[in-house]
Amino acid sequence: MDKGPADPKVKEAVLAYLDTVEKAKSKEIAKAIDVPKGAVDLAVKELAAEDLVEYLYITTTFVALKGKVAPPE
Amino acid sequence: MAEVGKTPLLDELENGPWPSFVKEIKRAAEKNEMSKDLLGQLERSYEEKIGHWKHGGIVGVKGYGGGVIGRYSDLPDEFPALREFHTMRVAAPSGWFYKTDTLRTICDIWERHGSGLTNMHGSTGDIILLGMTTEELQPTYDEFAEQGMDLGGSGSDLRSPSCCVGPARCEHACYDTLDACFDITNEFQDELHRPMWPYKSKIKFAGCANDCVAAQARADISVVGTWRDAIQVDQAAVAEYADGGLNIQKYVVDKCPTGCMAFDAEKKELTIDNPECSRCMHCINVMGKALKIGKERGATIMIGAKSTIVKSAFMSWVLVPFMPMEAPYDEFKELCNEIWDWWDENGKTRERLGETIYRLGMGKFLRDLGIEAVPQMVYKPRSNPYVFWQPEDF
Repeated sequence: MDKGPADPKVKEAVLAYLDTVEKAKSKEIAKAIDVPKGAVDLAVKELAAEDLVEYLYITTTFVALKGKVAPPE
Repeated sequence: MAEVGKTPLLDELENGPWPSFVKEIKRAAEKNEMSKDLLGQLERSYEEKIGHWKHGGIVGVKGYGGGVIGRYSDLPDEFPALREFHTMRVAAPSGWFYKTDTLRTICDIWERHGSGLTNMHGSTGDIILLGMTTEELQPTYDEFAEQGMDLGGSGSDLRSPSCCVGPARCEHACYDTLDACFDITNEFQDELHRPMWPYKSKIKFAGCANDCVAAQARADISVVGTWRDAIQVDQAAVAEYADGGLNIQKYVVDKCPTGCMAFDAEKKELTIDNPECSRCMHCINVMGKALKIGKERGATIMIGAKSTIVKSAFMSWVLVPFMPMEAPYDEFKELCNEIWDWWDENGKTRERLGETIYRLGMGKFLRDLGIEAVPQMVYKPRSNPYVFWQPEDF
């Protein structure tokens, strides 16, 4: 089932928000930029493919701007 | 390190005619230190009635949030080979059909990198590989990936969907469980590998209400095969059963949960009031040559089953009484996304879907998803505490 492309405005808002924090969960991003979490998930997926953000798995999944969080020792 | 032959309590579990996991661990211990120490620690647990495992921590392979469960011994000085004893979940094929070559490949890879101990299969349905160090995780995964295999789910993500053998071996399959499971697993790869929900979520596909995959008792989303026309009846075969000595009245008609059947012993004729039938499969199971599932087939979508966690164990509720289950399964996929979005918005940490619905009410869940309450959702109308009239209904 194709969910279609992400909304470019949501992608911009996600990048802008992640610039203000170290890392965040999709749910937190959705709340902060006031859009449904599904839209954030889709935007993050595209942004990850574009190498602009990365997923961090720290018991749950966080999202951060690429390279912003140092890898664990 | 455990001393061979010093496990009297475990040895008891080798007695009897049935398979013994102790026997298998002892076989593995002949060539693997981890398995040897495992015997020692397990014997110790049996003596002290205390588990000596710690689990959790952050272990995994690159790009995946799930699939590996960190596990450590709390007696690392006594059992050094168990200092790190992680579990890896490898996704299993639909219906657990393997080629023997594949099984050999799995075992060869696993003996090179881990304890050699497997659990075929875990309750979710994955191949469970028990016991490996952190250092071996990535090389092991890489070898599995080269063979076209993938990790299963773990943590707060979609657990690997599983299904019964379906049409591959069973005439009762109301839809292709094998194809549905494969297709939908591929559809939700992000959800499977990236834990981002309040807790785990399981989908299980059963071809009929016999539910050989136990979906109704375990899965957050159960897809249980059913039909919506009439049971196919071969009256000549009914007569053969009667002539053969089957007490149809006692073992079929009287056992029908909705009382929708009648048997005329003189004419040896069975009649079914199909609108009253709940598709429980009992009569079809008893008289397989005379009764067959209907022709207009699909599935009932049920939700909310789970084992005891925040609340006690729940069985599933009916959500959609009938849905056609044909590729590309768009209607089902769309429903899953809506259910998960709702749960993600409303669920508390470590709360399964059924628990969130229980806390907030089935009425709210149905209204938020725009699903109309229908009689099939309740066992007895007016006696169900989950569906209420709303002020706007008056």
